[in-house]
Amino acid sequence: MPVGGFVINVDPDRIEESIKKLTSFRGVEIHGSDEKGNVIAVFESSNSHEMEEMVKEIMKIETVLSVGLTYFNAEDEVEGNANQG
Amino acid sequence: MGLSRREFIKRTAALTAASYVGIDLPFSNEQEAHASDADSWHKGTCRLCGSGCRLELGVKNGKAVALRGITKSRTNMGYLCMKGMLFYKLMGNNHPERLKKPLYRARKDQPFKEISWDEALDIAAKEFAKAVKQYGNDSVAYYGSGQALTEETYIFQKVMRGGLKTNNVEGNPRLCMASAVGGYITSFGADEPIGSYTNFERASCFFIIGSNTAEAHPVLFRRIMRRKLDNKDTVKVINADPRVSPTSRIADLHLQFNPGTDLALLNAMAYVIVEENLYDEDFLKNYAVFRMGKEKKQVDFAKYKSFVKDYSPEKAARICGGNITPEKIRQAARWFAKSEGTMSIWTMGINQRKRGVWANNLIHNLHILTGQLCKPGADSFSLTGQPNACGGVREGGGLCHILPAHRLVKKDKLRHEVERLWGIPEGRIPPKPGYHTVAMFEAVNQGKIKAIWINCTSPAQSLPNCDKYRKGMRREDVFMVVTDIFPTKTTELANLILPTAFIFEKTGVYGCTERRSQLTAKAVDAPGEAKPEVWIVREWALRLAKELNDPVIKKCVEPFLGKEPDYELPKAIWDEYTQKLTKGRDNDLRGATYDVLKKLPDGVQWPAPTKEWALKGGTDIKFVRGLDPLADKHAKNDLPYQFYGPAHPDKKLWIWLRPQKGPAEMPDSEYPFYLSTGRVIDHWHTASMTGRIKELMRANPYAYVEINPKDAEKLGIKPGDMVEVVSRRGRNVLPAKIYVGPCEGMVFVYWHDQAEDRMINRVTKDAFDPGSKEPEFKICACRIKKVSGPRPLKPFLVQMKA
Repeated sequence: MPVGGFVINVDPDRIEESIKKLTSFRGVEIHGSDEKGNVIAVFESSNSHEMEEMVKEIMKIETVLSVGLTYFNAEDEVEGNANQG
Repeated sequence: MGLSRREFIKRTAALTAASYVGIDLPFSNEQEAHASDADSWHKGTCRLCGSGCRLELGVKNGKAVALRGITKSRTNMGYLCMKGMLFYKLMGNNHPERLKKPLYRARKDQPFKEISWDEALDIAAKEFAKAVKQYGNDSVAYYGSGQALTEETYIFQKVMRGGLKTNNVEGNPRLCMASAVGGYITSFGADEPIGSYTNFERASCFFIIGSNTAEAHPVLFRRIMRRKLDNKDTVKVINADPRVSPTSRIADLHLQFNPGTDLALLNAMAYVIVEENLYDEDFLKNYAVFRMGKEKKQVDFAKYKSFVKDYSPEKAARICGGNITPEKIRQAARWFAKSEGTMSIWTMGINQRKRGVWANNLIHNLHILTGQLCKPGADSFSLTGQPNACGGVREGGGLCHILPAHRLVKKDKLRHEVERLWGIPEGRIPPKPGYHTVAMFEAVNQGKIKAIWINCTSPAQSLPNCDKYRKGMRREDVFMVVTDIFPTKTTELANLILPTAFIFEKTGVYGCTERRSQLTAKAVDAPGEAKPEVWIVREWALRLAKELNDPVIKKCVEPFLGKEPDYELPKAIWDEYTQKLTKGRDNDLRGATYDVLKKLPDGVQWPAPTKEWALKGGTDIKFVRGLDPLADKHAKNDLPYQFYGPAHPDKKLWIWLRPQKGPAEMPDSEYPFYLSTGRVIDHWHTASMTGRIKELMRANPYAYVEINPKDAEKLGIKPGDMVEVVSRRGRNVLPAKIYVGPCEGMVFVYWHDQAEDRMINRVTKDAFDPGSKEPEFKICACRIKKVSGPRPLKPFLVQMKA
């Protein structure tokens, strides 16, 4: 169950709308934002493939400009399945 | 507290992210949480592009389990991309396909057998010695990589040059950076950018040409994007490219020209700058001269003015085609010249060209004309593709014509200086440069090279027109050693495969785009019997010395004998390189010792002649008095900028008169399309690493051919149809992606795919720049045809056959 910490940059003029869309994703928690359009999000998924998919889906939101990873923990995945590529 | 471990990790994730942008969260157990989620954290540099993003690897029970960006790092401010997030999966025993034992076969049509390191090193030494004895010193060669650590490139080239007496030392940066090197040297007198990433936050105009920064350098692009978004009205972004890419999204102006016409576009911008008096007269008077031709003849400003007269925006717009109008050219030139700080950014679209050096010169011209250099936000900045093309290969002596610390092979004084510093007899290093990359593999084709060592790169896939060069690599009379971490298209052609340690499994320095050297120390064990290259080269050299009965070969590795290979050995090599070889050179790194590098969150930018200076981070902007210690040291007058670069005796910047020249191959009736190639965000180069990370492979399981919708309609091609892409050299069959990316008349193919049918370098052309010898990957002529409807495709990666 990897956990990722992200700064998502959204259009500063459409922050609320963006956060609303982001919270509709399962496994996404929004922890804060500022007026510049920086949104702090934590993603939780059952494996890192799913997390990559989540990032891709979020990138498709029109008001999202970038998704920046800042922290990633995958210890369960590594411990549980050392040989998965 | 009552928090579960999982909550701890989630809070850590949120707090780490929030700390980057200064947002306060309602909880603050950062330190506690950080301490709890790994046994230890290890600073290092990302492996998968040239940005030099710093991160920390979390290790638990000896396994890599977590990554976090380093907030204080001046390269990435802590941000990472998906490749950076996932490459821990390749470390240690995390990946089953890692090469773990030396493998050998006497003939290339035989299967490989596992052998011991002793046997492997004996074989490598005997084969190289045999070639030298029978065919001379230039019958052996080393082909290295911008991904090798500096210590590795340095020791390889030392043994080849000082030990085996050949300058046949090359590397894949020839395929990506050589034209940028040529451009910097001929325009500014010194290699590598003047400024730094800090200009991203200070620039008022970005001129991005021939670079899909958003996909190739996503973390740096984030900084550019942030700058633009925070200053929507005052910061302008110009994107010039034949293909609309994700980078174009933030552009105020997109200049879409036909491939190969950008020299006209750049000269036309200069025309506008001259015509509208937008140039900086004082800057020109103090710092610049005008030159032309092979003989570098100096001419006056009037001559330059009459030269650019031939590139009126009206005429250039006709040459460029695409969406280019005279008004767009004028607009771009005005923004460029008038902004408080203009930063140009480019990569392979400019470098991988028949006239790559000239294209580089013409970008530099615009900066010199307008004085957009050395001041905040102003820079002419080539982005590097590989993590250590700058540090290891450009600075460490990894190309056939250069010795460590920017010394030219052909200069007797500099060559003898290196021999003296190495303590080997004068005359040991031959005065003639070796084969450049295309010539090296041509020599393999012709059987002139009998033994070649390929380290950490896959030329069988990455060379242009690669079928032609794979023929040579298949020759039974060419002995090929390949050092790598995974099987590749090149290990398939080897006699001897030596498994190496990956980043974080060994210690060494990477030098990124902005002259910054950063240390990554070993944090996890390499799998099986994989070894660091520095150990491999040392042990090989000792055996070579015996085989050839030549004590000078041993002398080359003598300072490194008895050192333990994980830290002490690379440290001793780094010390020799920095303390002896860079002393007094423009990339003086004497202050950047391992101890200093370990103290800093990121690293040191050269020049850094002293530890005191290095501990401050080194030099942010070169050539500026007060900011660059060498500018003060070499000052010839009272002017604030001192262009002391070693290649320009007049210590001036040179504005070049360079005419428009097209590519080596133009579309014609038989091959009516331009073919260009490039990268996609999820994959890196030949995908030998990113292809083995399932998440990245699933995201882009195979290459596509991108076709403009108008062309697709004319040819009856629908999305997913299988399309044949044929040139005079080879053929691919790829699924079609119909996309308003490439301009009409141009197709674009990603080059990472290892499947024979989708390996686009079988189609590209091996024409190269006469100055930089860098091949023209970016442009050739092809024809396309639908061969069938959509077909199910499988991703493909070379596997080791037992």
